This record gives sequence, C-alpha cells and structure tokens, in this order.
Amino acid sequence: MERTRKVMPIREAIQQFVPDRCQSLAVGGMHMHNNPMALIREVIRQNKKIKRLLTSPSADINADLLLGSGLVEEILTAYVGFEHLGLAPNFRRAVEKKTVKLLECDEPFLVYGFQAGAGGLPFIPYPKGLELNDLHKINPDLYRFTTDPYTGEQVMTAAPLRPSVALIHCQEADPYGNAIFKGGEFTDRQMILAAETVVLQVEKIVPDLVAKYGATRINVPGFLVSALVEAPYGCHPTSSHTYYRDDEEHLKAYLKACKSSESWAEYLHRHVLDISEEEYAATIGRGRLDSLRSEGVFE
Amino acid sequence: MSGKGYSGEKGLAKETGNPKGAGRPEGKGDAGERGYSVAELMAAVMARHLKDGEVAVMGAVSMIPMAACRLAQETHAPNLSYIAGGSGAVNPHLEPLVFSSCAEENLRADAVLPLADVILLEGHGQRFSVFFGGGLQIDKYGNCNLVCVGDWYNPVLKGPGTVGLPFLPRAGRAVLYTTSHNARTFVEKVDFNSGPGFLDGPETWSRQGLPGEGPALVVTPLCVFDFEEQSKVMRLKSLHPGVSREEVMGNTGFKPVLPAEVPTTPEPTLSELAILRRLDPVGVLRNLV
Repeated sequence: MERTRKVMPIREAIQQFVPDRCQSLAVGGMHMHNNPMALIREVIRQNKKIKRLLTSPSADINADLLLGSGLVEEILTAYVGFEHLGLAPNFRRAVEKKTVKLLECDEPFLVYGFQAGAGGLPFIPYPKGLELNDLHKINPDLYRFTTDPYTGEQVMTAAPLRPSVALIHCQEADPYGNAIFKGGEFTDRQMILAAETVVLQVEKIVPDLVAKYGATRINVPGFLVSALVEAPYGCHPTSSHTYYRDDEEHLKAYLKACKSSESWAEYLHRHVLDISEEEYAATIGRGRLDSLRSEGVFE
Repeated sequence: MSGKGYSGEKGLAKETGNPKGAGRPEGKGDAGERGYSVAELMAAVMARHLKDGEVAVMGAVSMIPMAACRLAQETHAPNLSYIAGGSGAVNPHLEPLVFSSCAEENLRADAVLPLADVILLEGHGQRFSVFFGGGLQIDKYGNCNLVCVGDWYNPVLKGPGTVGLPFLPRAGRAVLYTTSHNARTFVEKVDFNSGPGFLDGPETWSRQGLPGEGPALVVTPLCVFDFEEQSKVMRLKSLHPGVSREEVMGNTGFKPVLPAEVPTTPEPTLSELAILRRLDPVGVLRNLV
C-alpha cells in the first residue's frame, strides 16, 4: 500500500477540512509574520462560518480580515493589532459595535491552553501574581480558580484549548506533511499539537526535506497534518521568515481601505472574493512580490 | 509575546489624542541644535538603568528598549541579555534596528528560544530582571492598561489587548515607557488593569508577597519618574533638557511626588550617540519621537 500524500489544491483542502460552521478555528502567525493568509482568504471565499476564532498571542491581519468578512461569531485573543502600524480597524469596530463577542485573555491563557489541549491536561495553573490584573473579572467563565493541593492557596487556571481546525504556515514540507519552520515558530507548534485537524500551507513542497535539513530541524511531524497546500507568497501581505518580508505598503493600504465600507468592500472583492487564490499574486504583481524576498541568511 | 513592552503604538497615540507640545523637547527627528532625538535620550536613560549580568524582556513595538539594551551591552553591561518580543530571539545582533519585534532580522542573535519557552520562563519569578512595559494608560502606581479606554463592556477605545503584560509582577522590576506623555496616558487610575504595578498602593502590594520589586522607572518624552519608597506613588526623578515642571504637571493626569530639587536628565554622551547611530543608521530612533 502506498503512503498517503497530503498535498492538495487549496480549494479542496478548505472544502474538505474546514466545516461550514467551524466550532473553533485557530489561525497561526504572529504580528505581521507567518500569517497563513492564503488559507484564510480561501475560508472567506468559501463562506465558512466560524463559531470561535482563536489566535496566537499577537494576531494581525489574519484575524482582522476574518473579522471584517463578518464570518466570526466570537474571538478568543490576547491582542489584535498591527504593531508599529497601529490598531486593527475591523477588530476595533467589531468589538466597539458588538458585532463580535470578545473573549479577551492574556498570552499565557492561549499558550498554556494549547499545551493543556495537546497533552490532555485538565488545566494549567497560573503562577501567582497573574490573577492581579482585571481579565478574570470580565471573564469568570474563562478564568476559573482552584485550590493548590500543595499549599492550600487559591490559584487561577487556564482551560485546555483544542481547536477543531488550525490553519498554519510553514516554509517547507515534504508531500507527507513533515514540515519545517525555517525562521520563528512563534506559538504555531503549540497550535499544531493541540488542534484536531491541521491544514498547512507552505512556500514550497520539498520531496527530500530530511536530506536537505536533517530530521532534527524538521519540527512538525506529518502525522499531525491533515492537508498540505503549496502556496507561494501565501503569507502576503505578512512575511514568511527566510522567504520574504512583510509588505508594509500593502498593510498600510489595507488599513486605509478599512476606513470606509466602500473601500473595504473593494479591497475584499479585489483581493479575496472575485478571484481564486491562484490569482492572488497577480492582484499584487509578481515583480512587487519578488522585491520583498529575503536575503536567505538562514539557508 | 509581544506582549511585553507595549508603549504608545502609533495608532494609539493618535487615537488618545497626543496634544501638540507633548513629546518635547521640540518634536521629532534629528532635533537640530540639540543633536539627538528624544527617543535617543530615552534609550540612553534606559541603558544606564540596566546592570551588567541582568536579563531583560520586552514585547511589541520595542525599538527604544532594544536600542537601550544594545547600548548597555556596548558600554557598561556586556553581560546583559535581552529577549526581543515574540521572536524569542536572545540578544539580536540588530544593525540596523527594525520596527517589528517578530521580524526575521531579530533572529540573527545569540540564540532563539521557542516562544513557549519564553512564556514559561516569564512565570519563573527569578529569571528576568527587567520587564519593559507600557500602555494606553499608566497610573500613579505604575499599573498599565492595554485593553480599553472606558468601561470594558462599552469602551470609548478598544485597545489591542494585553498579551504578556500580566507577567509584570513576576519580573525583577518593571521599566515602563511611553512615547506620548499626556494626561490621557498618565491617569490617576487605569480604566482596566492589564499590567499590574503597585496595584492600589503599598498595602495591597505588600500583601501579595511577590518575588519582584515592582515598577522601578518610567521613561517618557518629557521626563523620568521613579516611585517613592513609602507611598509607591510615581515621583519626578529628572526633567529632560528644556522641559519644565509645569509642562510635566500639565500633561500628567495625577499628582506625582515632587521633590524640591529635580535634576536635568543627563544628555546622551557623544560616545553613547555614536553607538546608537551605528546601531541605527536608518534613524528609527531619530524619527520616532
């Protein structure tokens, strides 16, 4: 019997592995880096409803685009913003106008949560002092307290997180889904470990990945990956470490487009709804994309 | 991570209304006669505060703390280590400085930790000597807020979120900073406490029995504050060259402790500036504030 190759067209990957009403969708990437934008745009094209969106500790356009598309019912996050470029317009609008339910948490809630989800741990207790901020007061259901059996003191806990689907970007993978983060991995590996289903996009499928890097550098095993999509420039307008920088000009244009409903609709149609993902690069321009390429210092 | 050293993000400063004049001395850029920018002065102040052998950690939009750590390493603290935001990079060899804490350039470093390891160590309580933080609001006890202005249920302004700021009480001490010193940033009490400082004051703070010392220093475009030992209230430590007490008071929404004599913040020396300019040839700091 042949080993199953997991590579498939992006349309099929999202059709097959993201339910039409997805209970919880996690999106990888941190700030304007390694966001799995090709997969996210395809989710929007296929009009998949998301009951709960989960992010890394610092989401960016990955969450903001989904929020702007109106598909998200609630979001569990510790940050959505554009770092030095400013606030996230769709996030801010959706929260202020209450068109999305915000489950606001801190960074450890997500990271401890993914670790607990991955390992079947019932919860992870917080270090003392992290209950001193106000987050648990607005989120009594999220942040629950228990008694530390060793000291008898009250401790705050993080609940396990097990996203139904995680959308993740790695730089390269072999056809069986074994993959490498060539630059930063942020908290994407925790998401992969915790999710029930992982859809992975990569810049390049490399058949002899282990021969190229050695197995110790391949930090995503294929058995955790359900579907694999080759999506060159698939993080644009965010960066893909070692491949290309983030497109700051495009990110600024996005922020500007979010200012009015007309310009937002135009952006969404032009770069998402009216095209297939294979046509996305043409909406940006191949020359422009190539000008973003990194020097490849980590080869 | 990321979470850590948030200070006035670009959009935030605008949204919360940075009055003209705040951020002096004299606006942005190369700063003409003065010969250094406010951000360079702030970096020099932070650098001098760091000690050899310490470990510092910071979050998103941390250009000033990163420059400060590099400057400290190249002057009095060659054994200082610092972790650059969500990249997990330990001691990035950044030349030039970059804006994003997670940009690939940060990974040219001494070592790179998976972010989950950094978050684990942030909980340790003794690993990190200094945590750089900030917020949309900072109050007189050094509590920070990156969550919202106004009531959380009906915010006037929804902030980006707090990321790792709740770890502030686990650090050896906190160094807070902002690029917009005005009465909307410096408030009597934060609308939402997302990065605890001395909480409601000395009684509530001492009751917690936390491992660290709490907030130690606040660096702004106008001045430097520390905290009075007894009351834990922010105290004016030095005024930047050309800034008056009145200007600080007029742009601060609470009454800081005011010693009779307040010295002028020492300017960056020529050798400090030479190092900063070498690290930052494109002028990230010169154009920031």
